[in-house]
Amino acid sequence: MMWKKKKKQKSNEDYYLASQWTLMGRKLKKHKLAKLSMLILLILYLGALFADFLAPYSLEEFDALYKNSAPTSIHVMHEGKFVGPFVYKQEKVINKADFSVTISEDTSEYYKLKFFVHGPEYKILGLIPCDLHLFGVGQGSNGGTGAKIMLFGTDTLGRDIFSRVLLGSRISLTIPFASAIISFFLGVTIGSISGYFGGAIDIVIQRIIEVIGAVPQIPLWMALSAAIPPGISTIKMYFYITIILSFINWTGMARVVRGKFLSLKNEDYVMAARLSGVSTWKIIWKHLVPGFMSYLIVSITLGIPGSIVGETSMSYLGLGIKSPATSWGVLLQEASSVTDVASNPHKLIPIIFVTIAVLAFNFLGDGIRDAADPYK
Amino acid sequence: MEENASKSKSMHEDLPKKTLWESVCDFFKKDLVQYIVKRLLMFIPTLLLISILVFFVIQLPPGDYVSAHIAALATEGEIVDADYAAQLRADYGLDLPIHEQYIKWIKDIIWTPTDSTYYRLYGSHHNWKYSFAYGKDVWDVVDDRLGLTILVTAIIMIFQYAVSLPIAVYASTHQYSVGDYISSVIGFLGAAIPNFILAIVLMYLSYKWTGNANVGLFSQEMLQNGVHLYNFGEFLKRMIIPIIVIGTSGTCGIIRSVRAQMLDEVGRQYTLTARAKGVPERTIVMKYCFRAAINPTVSGLGGVLSSLFSGSTVTAMVLNMQIQGPVLLKALQAQDMYLAGAIVMVQAVLVVVGILLSDIALAFLDPRIRYSGGGR
Amino acid sequence: MNEENILEVKDLHVDIHMTEGLLTAVRGVNFEMKKGETLGLVGESGCGKSLTCKAILGINDKKCVPSGQILFDSEGLGKVDLLSLDQKGQEIRSIRGKEISMIFQEPMVAFSPMYTIGNQINEATRLHITKDKKKSKEISMEVMRKVGIANVEKRYNQYPHEFSGGMLQRALIAMALVCNPKMLIADEPTTALDVTIQAQILELMKSLQKDFNMAILFITHDLGVVAKMCDRVAVMYLGKIVESADASEIYANPQHPYTRGLIGSVHKIGSKKEERLFSIEGTVPLAMNLPKACGFYDRCDARIEGLCDKAEPDLVEVAPGHKIACFNCPHEACKAQRAKVEADLKGEAIPKKEEGGKA
Repeated sequence: MMWKKKKKQKSNEDYYLASQWTLMGRKLKKHKLAKLSMLILLILYLGALFADFLAPYSLEEFDALYKNSAPTSIHVMHEGKFVGPFVYKQEKVINKADFSVTISEDTSEYYKLKFFVHGPEYKILGLIPCDLHLFGVGQGSNGGTGAKIMLFGTDTLGRDIFSRVLLGSRISLTIPFASAIISFFLGVTIGSISGYFGGAIDIVIQRIIEVIGAVPQIPLWMALSAAIPPGISTIKMYFYITIILSFINWTGMARVVRGKFLSLKNEDYVMAARLSGVSTWKIIWKHLVPGFMSYLIVSITLGIPGSIVGETSMSYLGLGIKSPATSWGVLLQEASSVTDVASNPHKLIPIIFVTIAVLAFNFLGDGIRDAADPYK
Repeated sequence: MEENASKSKSMHEDLPKKTLWESVCDFFKKDLVQYIVKRLLMFIPTLLLISILVFFVIQLPPGDYVSAHIAALATEGEIVDADYAAQLRADYGLDLPIHEQYIKWIKDIIWTPTDSTYYRLYGSHHNWKYSFAYGKDVWDVVDDRLGLTILVTAIIMIFQYAVSLPIAVYASTHQYSVGDYISSVIGFLGAAIPNFILAIVLMYLSYKWTGNANVGLFSQEMLQNGVHLYNFGEFLKRMIIPIIVIGTSGTCGIIRSVRAQMLDEVGRQYTLTARAKGVPERTIVMKYCFRAAINPTVSGLGGVLSSLFSGSTVTAMVLNMQIQGPVLLKALQAQDMYLAGAIVMVQAVLVVVGILLSDIALAFLDPRIRYSGGGR
Repeated sequence: MNEENILEVKDLHVDIHMTEGLLTAVRGVNFEMKKGETLGLVGESGCGKSLTCKAILGINDKKCVPSGQILFDSEGLGKVDLLSLDQKGQEIRSIRGKEISMIFQEPMVAFSPMYTIGNQINEATRLHITKDKKKSKEISMEVMRKVGIANVEKRYNQYPHEFSGGMLQRALIAMALVCNPKMLIADEPTTALDVTIQAQILELMKSLQKDFNMAILFITHDLGVVAKMCDRVAVMYLGKIVESADASEIYANPQHPYTRGLIGSVHKIGSKKEERLFSIEGTVPLAMNLPKACGFYDRCDARIEGLCDKAEPDLVEVAPGHKIACFNCPHEACKAQRAKVEADLKGEAIPKKEEGGKA
């Protein structure tokens, strides 16, 4: 009886002594949708990290034989015999009468799927050279070559959409994230200066925020990206787009931070810190920002999906990431007209990834918001 | 008895006899006029800052306007001599220092004197410069589609509020019901799927079901004869896809925020007071909660307008709508920067006017704002 | 139902359905109120006072489900069980505000900021008395005058944020009294106000009670206010009434250890300088998965081991009009209950421990 009570007391004490973060973590664990979203995001980001290994082909590898082809079907039975998962090579037959092309499978020979095959070279995490890929197509049963596995089909040049989605996620998933972090620092710094000092600085900053907020995002975005010089390297382009995104997104964060500062800066603990000679910078980052950190994390998480959609739209219009650099938006350029979609519906597959990523960030943000709410 | 406020002493002395008109006058004389004047004064620096931002955008692309112009002429096979280029540079003030360029640009827009070449040529006092991509005066290009852009935006906006407010009220009064879940799932999806893809898919479906993809706002017949009463129905029919595509994402946002706001208000103490008075539930929801919940919605009107311009820009290109979005894209691709700048500026000014109007509407709706003198 | 009673609450339970489980916040409350009397309901925060009075009007949160009986002697409907009425229906609405009204703890948030004070007071008049705009406005203004709001013509058209806290509480009282109710529930009406204003409001309520001949259910945690206002007092602890008596009796002769503690924790003028204020150890336990024991057991200085942690005492009458729920009391009636429960406990100690509390 005694020990039981003590244990209860201890768990109670744990509860009361737990930091804000521990409590949030506990509540978040209970939020099923948020947990699922976290898992999905983890998979997506791991996928981006090991994209070279997971993708059977490289970004630019193309095969004229496979132009605009639908996802390769995977078979297990060859001529009534079980041989394990395999694919047939694609074959083009030109009808001499009317020059129409029919695409069919060459069923004379089967190509077994294999794990850990050698393919195009890459560097693991950008460091260790390697040419192993998770899966691929082996030699044909009669020693033939040239069969491909295109899980999501191919684009007009005959490039594997599956590989391109994976490799493109490196840009599509990291640009919004990087820009969220940059706009976080910009927003907190500028917002805190505005809220902490007040006066003329505050008025000027407020006007600037209002103006940037007033200009419709995408037109502003388009105008800014028009300034990206053509023919620059992928890394530079990445850098420019990130900067443009952060430039547009920091204002929301700054507004929130300013509001919080106005209400917190007259609290006694801030006064106490100031009286004991703590520097302004330290007061802001050590005493004030932690007080509403959870709130900021929520706004970051909920801001990312907007950036993902935004980057996709921009790249789709040819104003964001431009070929040869590849993001999901670039992949979607293939689906730019009704006829494209009607004849090659598989070209819409990248949109599933955009949607999943956006939904996952939204649900995660909602979950964190619920968890951070002390009244729930 | 205690703190009889002195500020409105003269206001209500003869109150019982006052007519409605008189009280309206009183109302205006006092705080509201002050408030509106204050907001109008704040409008001027905002405009100024917008113009600076736009000028900055115009300056961004590598090379100057005249070299882009000459390059454009060269592709058409015209040979431009150096004298003409120098003449153009002088006309546009491109050899001046940057701040003087800005002043010249803004001065020309506000008032071009009667004795200038521009006035003699175009008969207008507002010189927005020349668009080489269209071979016309910039303002003519902007004006061409301004009316339609505003009309389309207004129709979509009305649709958004007409759909989202009832759904939000329903969702908040039936929290965690099936309807609530459905509306939030659709809401999330609507925000997650990029506009342009939704547009293409809808066009495809429309093509499949009706045999007509409904591309563009006008039929061939309308383009010849203009829009009249008899073919206005056709115009509205062609608006369906744009309304769904551009409207949905915003609708979801409004539903989410109004629902949250309503839930907040439903939990307020005054609903309890009203209930204890014997007020019917319906009246509590509509008279008290909804009335309080729409205030933030009204103040968010400017933001909604801004996102509508953003959304319609991308969608218009896919749907080939005759509004400003595609013009902006064309201008940016051709680096016709004065035109691009003018469009961004016009849209930003429209948004700022929207914010101004919503602030004034808010002052009408929320008594607290009138008295505290506003400020957000 | 007794003829001279206006309200009888019988075995009232309020269950709160939370994500963590079911919390029974009010666990079998019984009391009655006579016409025109003031009953004080006293207890710490979270003991179920507010839930009890909200249950009377049926304005509990959706999550709170009351059960039991609340009998009310209504003009319009005769004697009715308020809990049996549809909580959103026309009948209960005709009682709310008209026959029973309520004033709340924080006047600053009790009014909607969107409408004028006059509009909100007038709403009750229009709902219950007259649809005539002019007449109802006159009635509302008259009541505003009665509660001591000066310059009513101007005040009528002002918004809540233009009122001070004290003035708002007056307006709230005016709103509650505008239909001349037979019963007023006052949920800590002075807690949010400063002391001088508190005194004014209490005076006002007392004098209005005479004018309107209302019964007042006065909820508070402030024993000083109780002494000033109430005829009778019921002390609540953890969702149960533990002692009820006339106000003078309870101060002179508190019987329950909790009541003694409460009274001991009030500062008295003239007490010795060095004497420390008494405080009750510990905190109120959470009313979830309560063990079969006296709710006050953990904090009690007069607990009996082996009895108070095994069974829960019922209210018994120790003197005319004075009831307590405690085993450790020298009074005959209490001793009888204790003996009975002890015998019961012994008898069923081995087979099962099902009953025990409700003997």
